[in-house]
Amino acid sequence: MSEYEEKGADLVPETRLRDTGKKAARIPEDADRRAFMRVGITSALAVGSVALGLGLRARDGHGKKKALPKLKDHRVPKVQGAVEMAIVRGPDAAANVRRAVAAVGGMERFVKKGERVVVKPNIGWNRLPEQAANTNPEVVAEVVRLVAAAGAGKVWVTDVSVNTAEQCFTRSGIEKAAKAAGAIVVRPDAPNFREVDVSGKLLKTGDVLFPFVDADRVINVPLVKQHGLSGATMAMKNWYGVLGGQRVKLHQNIHLSIVDLAAMVKPTLTILDATRILLANGPTGGSLADVKQMDTIAVGTDEVALDAFGATLLGLVPGDLGFIIEGMKAGLGTSDWRSLKTEELGG
Amino acid sequence: MRYPLFIVLALIPPALIGTLVWQGRKAPPAEKVAAKPAGGDADAALRALFDLKLAAAKVKEKVTLYDEKGLFDYIDGAAPIFIERNFRRLGATEMSTPEGSDLVCDVYDMAAPENAQSIFDKEKSSQAKPVEGWPGAISGPMSFVFHDKRYYVKLTAFDAKAEAALPLVARALKEKMQ
Repeated sequence: MSEYEEKGADLVPETRLRDTGKKAARIPEDADRRAFMRVGITSALAVGSVALGLGLRARDGHGKKKALPKLKDHRVPKVQGAVEMAIVRGPDAAANVRRAVAAVGGMERFVKKGERVVVKPNIGWNRLPEQAANTNPEVVAEVVRLVAAAGAGKVWVTDVSVNTAEQCFTRSGIEKAAKAAGAIVVRPDAPNFREVDVSGKLLKTGDVLFPFVDADRVINVPLVKQHGLSGATMAMKNWYGVLGGQRVKLHQNIHLSIVDLAAMVKPTLTILDATRILLANGPTGGSLADVKQMDTIAVGTDEVALDAFGATLLGLVPGDLGFIIEGMKAGLGTSDWRSLKTEELGG
Repeated sequence: MRYPLFIVLALIPPALIGTLVWQGRKAPPAEKVAAKPAGGDADAALRALFDLKLAAAKVKEKVTLYDEKGLFDYIDGAAPIFIERNFRRLGATEMSTPEGSDLVCDVYDMAAPENAQSIFDKEKSSQAKPVEGWPGAISGPMSFVFHDKRYYVKLTAFDAKAEAALPLVARALKEKMQ
């Protein structure tokens, strides 16, 4: 027989919920019964109300004495006349990354000498690269090489995995590829999180991986997948992977929480990996029957536009996706990616 | 002076209870679902499925059980389509073949056969192949999916050797379900 563990709120033995069998304290015989009841109930309610208030205050992250840090704005100024979005198609994923980044001005436009850079792929799943649940490791490695070549002082690669980090970082091939390219790989272990001020519509505070607090530049490297709840997961949804431990809460209003996180991070550059895309049964995938080889990389600074482009690869229109609409309302970008100065190369 | 305070304080608990009850209301499920069986026996039955005597693959590590809330920690945004079909528990584990190849075995207890059928139909890939002689099963490269009784099973392989073991694991699980 195997060893077992249980995860979740309902998995509490019923015996814990049963009556303890203890009897109530007796009322003194000479006490005025009504006065005793009144004082007792009033006191209990008052104490309970104060405790409830303090509990709710603590739960919402208020009442803290010290101010929490906010993430920096990692964006770089726009360059007049520069290509705003590049789409490259071809059989070599690494070459596609190089050509697309060169088309938007080269990595030197986004990363200066000595800067600390965090590269954020999707490493959420215990899946092989062929199963298209995680970012392609060749794409991640090429981004790391370009960042290092631009003179970055430090390059981190990190993500908060959904499945066990050990399995995800290994099986995705990303840890090995990123390390070989010169990155420091940070796994989502408890000491690696810092509490920050999110100041979003839904999310007020959150625990994020420390490279996002310390980095000068942030490069988002998501892949394109169908997603059961949000419709798709691409650039903006990839920021779920900076936070620890709020999966259920985040999914209760998924579109707004996606936009809250996208507004918090403000990445320097987004490199959308559509080398292989997952057309169904996302975000987990597993069957190669759901995977389509697209051999495409799209690069830009407008996450909403990149998500709108990615939606078309999944056979969707941007208006199908609530987070794209909410992202536009929040001023994060445009869904009309064709209105940007775009360069398409290859295929 | 004391009575107004007493009344205000006395009104707080019913107001809170009312709020919680209001917030806790659930919309009716999108599809017809059947009631969930009692937890203890059903959990034991789910656990027993993994006690496979099989040469093709063995349970490599502990079996983890997930409830509705925990399901988000395992399949993230895919969880709601299971929950709205009256998902009860997931038993998940990794298995390995004698050659050291790995596969993932996920058994969802959907509380009733119609719920298991419903999630099978929902997730069924148009590209996946039907399994000959087994109407409730499909196989895609690197995967094998079937439903039987109240269970919905997804097996995922990570190489060709593990993929070859998937039908054997699936048939062993099906037998345990009888």
